[in-house]
Amino acid sequence: MVSDEILRTHLQELRRGTVVVASLVALRRPDYGYALLQRLSDHGFPVDANTLYPLLRRLEEQGLLTSEWNTEESRPRKFYRTSEEGESVLGRLLTDLATVQTSLTGLIEGADR
Amino acid sequence: MTTLTDRYLAATLRSVPVARRAEIATELRASIEDMVEGRTAGGQDAAAAEREVLTELGDPDKLAARYADRRLQLIGPAYYLAWSRLMKLLLSFIPVLVGVLVGLVTTAEGGSTGRGVGTGVVVAFQVAVQISFWVTVVFAVLERTRTPLHLPEWSVDLLPENTPDRKISLADIAASVTFLGLLIAYLVMQHFRSFVSTDGGENLPILDPALWNFWLPFLIAVLVASIGLEFAKYRTGRWTWPLVAANVVLNLAFAVPVIWLTSTDRLLNPELIARFEWLGEANHLDLLAAAVIAGTVLVAFWDVLDSVIKTWRDRG
Repeated sequence: MVSDEILRTHLQELRRGTVVVASLVALRRPDYGYALLQRLSDHGFPVDANTLYPLLRRLEEQGLLTSEWNTEESRPRKFYRTSEEGESVLGRLLTDLATVQTSLTGLIEGADR
Repeated sequence: MTTLTDRYLAATLRSVPVARRAEIATELRASIEDMVEGRTAGGQDAAAAEREVLTELGDPDKLAARYADRRLQLIGPAYYLAWSRLMKLLLSFIPVLVGVLVGLVTTAEGGSTGRGVGTGVVVAFQVAVQISFWVTVVFAVLERTRTPLHLPEWSVDLLPENTPDRKISLADIAASVTFLGLLIAYLVMQHFRSFVSTDGGENLPILDPALWNFWLPFLIAVLVASIGLEFAKYRTGRWTWPLVAANVVLNLAFAVPVIWLTSTDRLLNPELIARFEWLGEANHLDLLAAAVIAGTVLVAFWDVLDSVIKTWRDRG
């Protein structure tokens, strides 16, 4: 029986890249950090706050997200939105994810058990 | 009165680049307040919620490193192998070399053997610490500045030869060569500084100075040849029968003269024997000779036996 620790590491590795994909998809509709965190976890992408917040800033610096301050509500919030560049990168990522899924399915079906 | 959140923000922002500090502060504060609000809406006590949220965000320095995309390692995988290889290379011989040299110089300048050994060990240790420290500092700086090293790419041509056949490590060879070197150094040094002096305060060599006519140079030549054998052994990577033959010849070339000189009372300096009354009494000199002969036979026999066993074990 494999230990929980090993299992957790593998799951973490598997999930790591998908946070970026999920964020780029979710931010087609502009949102701020905490709301995005909620939205992602509601859709089965539990992310740690201390991972997501710095990640959003990094994606913004890379030009994949744009941001805008909203000062109308009780506290100033920074709303992120997937940029055009982000959209094209997302396209590539989704294609690749689909390829991985297809390849895996082929492998599973083709493998003798 | 500052809240926990204020303190957390201050701790995080401390190590975030100044240019982005204000913006990150506003955003992070809002995020924390959102998270706290999310919990108090569920009926939780505000103070407890704040504690929980900050605990979840974790160590402020770690969070700041993520914001600044800073590396949380002294030397990462890009530099680790280069660091470790350089450390091994430098530490494998420099501290010992410097230690032995300083020890010999200290002794030759009139210190006792004990002081020479002590000084040598301390200096070797200091040199090892200095090397480790400075090499590591340089690599840690490279890691932080992300300087490319431009090292040649690894290729199959870099594979060490005979890897599966190598039975003799460089450490073994280094130990043997060091021992042989020290033995040669002793044979020379005992003539000039034996730490036994005449009544007049002059140095009294341990071995008979008359042996310098032929036998001492001969023994030193045999030891130098033995160092050559060590290098040949390392090149081959293992004991082979020709190497064993050479080992037998060299052991005999060293042991036989020593035994013969001892049994004919020609090894030790006659003046030295005269200086120690104990040696002149009864059959003490014969006992000493017997011990020297037994020791020489034992060492030579063991060395040859060891090489034969290893050749036998590693054959084909």
